[in-house]
Amino acid sequence: MNQWEVFVMDMSELAEGKDLALSIRTLNPGHHKYTYKHVRCQVSSNLDQHPDRLQVRMGRGQLSAAKFSIKVIEEIQRMPAKYA
Amino acid sequence: MSKISAPRSNREFIEACVKAGDAVRIKQEVDWENEAGAIVRRACELGAAAPFMEKIKDYPGFSYFGAPLSTYRRMAISLGMDPASSLPEIGKEYLKRTNSEPIAPVLVDRKDAPCKENILLGADVDLCKLPVPLVHDGDGGRYVGTWHAVVTKHPVRGDVNWGMYRQMMFDGRTMSGAVFPFSDLGKQLSEYYLPRGLSCPFATAIGLSPLAAMAACAPSPIPEPELVGMLSGEPARLVKCETNDLEVPADAEIIIEGEICPDYKVEEGPFGEYTGYRTSPRDFRVTFRVNCITYRNNATMTISNMGVPQDEGQLLRSFSLGLELEKLLRSQGIPITGVYMHPRSTHHMMIVGVKPTYAGIAQQIAQLAFGSKLGPWFHMVMVVDDQTDIYNWDEVYHAFCTRCHPANGIHIYKNTTGTPLYPYATPHERKYSIGSKVLFDCLWPVDWDKTNDVPTTVSFKNVYPQDIQDRVLANWTAYGYPQTK
Ligand SMILES: Cc1cc2nc3c(=O)[nH]c(=O)nc-3n(C[C@H](O)[C@H](O)[C@H](O)COP(=O)(O)O)c2cc1C
Ligand SMILES: [Mn+2]
Repeated sequence: MNQWEVFVMDMSELAEGKDLALSIRTLNPGHHKYTYKHVRCQVSSNLDQHPDRLQVRMGRGQLSAAKFSIKVIEEIQRMPAKYA
Repeated sequence: MSKISAPRSNREFIEACVKAGDAVRIKQEVDWENEAGAIVRRACELGAAAPFMEKIKDYPGFSYFGAPLSTYRRMAISLGMDPASSLPEIGKEYLKRTNSEPIAPVLVDRKDAPCKENILLGADVDLCKLPVPLVHDGDGGRYVGTWHAVVTKHPVRGDVNWGMYRQMMFDGRTMSGAVFPFSDLGKQLSEYYLPRGLSCPFATAIGLSPLAAMAACAPSPIPEPELVGMLSGEPARLVKCETNDLEVPADAEIIIEGEICPDYKVEEGPFGEYTGYRTSPRDFRVTFRVNCITYRNNATMTISNMGVPQDEGQLLRSFSLGLELEKLLRSQGIPITGVYMHPRSTHHMMIVGVKPTYAGIAQQIAQLAFGSKLGPWFHMVMVVDDQTDIYNWDEVYHAFCTRCHPANGIHIYKNTTGTPLYPYATPHERKYSIGSKVLFDCLWPVDWDKTNDVPTTVSFKNVYPQDIQDRVLANWTAYGYPQTK
């Protein structure tokens, strides 16, 4: 199970049952901890719904008590190809 | 000029600090995730020795040096002065050196540049190979650049800029940073690169000599490579980058080369800031794509941990902002006694002493200061007379609370340049970097009659004849008091 984290200003950014585009960072231990990916995903407050876990921080870094499960559908490439 | 012997590299600086008791070697393993940051933070809040952390979890061979210039003692050591030098002495030395002849940097061969000992290119480039710390829990990311210089060059004018602009690791090849639009780099981008859709070559240098770092965060009009030369009394040693034609300090611990993207932005922040808060919102900011990393063997990453006083964000910046403002006011011939920014004000209040020889002098000072390049970084000016010791907050506070007329002495300037970092600013003002400013004029008005209108200061020194003062001082212990200085 992968652990992810997201920053939101408002919980409404984490609508359940819809495809979302989020910048999430990995909390898996190791050298790459806290690096981001921009992904298409679905989240659910039912922790058994999706394979991975997502925790949430608010605008100034406060950790939210809310916990979600998350399914990463695909990575979205926002970066122009010339920088790859 | 007498020979200056200032530490020429971060390594020499650490050695000098350890020797003076102003740095501690931490041998036990420290975690890059929060623990290192927490050590630096506590050292700042206690005014304690700088931590040199020699063993970092997951990153054998790397070390950290935290809180490099968060005490006046370490500032004195960085300038090659006696660590016990007083603040006014350090300030005088800074003014002397930065008013001297510019000293141009020299270019050295790459074989003489320690920063080239290890080179990562192509698929090997990964910022996660560096011990990038999570400085404060809840930060938007691990910060690569907290005590560093971002090197760029204006493509037409050719002038070089080194600026300390925070840089967050977004992924192994991408950083995002808070480059404010009024900064030298911000202006380079908006004047040249962004309108043309061109990427701007950059190089981030980490683990600089303390005076190179001081130059990178000093708001001086002198190009930073020359400013370092003036501060240290010898030419800065630079070396060419691997992947662009910028030049970087040859003795730096780590160099990150790349390009600033004109057409791609990723999220940056939140981050603990010099005001003592996390204020500026997470936003899409200037984005740096990394093409090459070079570093010394056993590289030391430098960390500044900004938060409540006092760290470099307050101590060093109050120092250099105050002195650069002093130079500006003197260049205009204003009869000031000096400028002081108290670190506790987080360089938000500029205290100026002046001989009030003509009307409106406080407003002239405030308008110059607020209107200068440095203006966005502070929002209060307090002007006191030449009899008030600007370094003595008790005296300044007394003058403020007794001489500043609530209706006539407080002047408010609206819709000025601000930053997203001001804790008092409204969310709207932060989003658009809108500021406002205030002047506290604590001078007696020049149109008051000196004899009948201006109150007399009632103090031992001011109201008693000299012979009485002398007699009281001579008899002080005879009266039964303990001896005082
Ligand atoms: C630890 C530290 C971090 C800083 N971070 C930033 C920053 O993120 N963005 C910024 O515009 N200025 C930042 N500053 C202030 C700049 O370094 C300072 O304004 C410097 O003069 C910029 O150079 P410039 O005048 O050439 O633009 C920081 C200063 C310090 C001491
Ligand atoms: Mn500059």
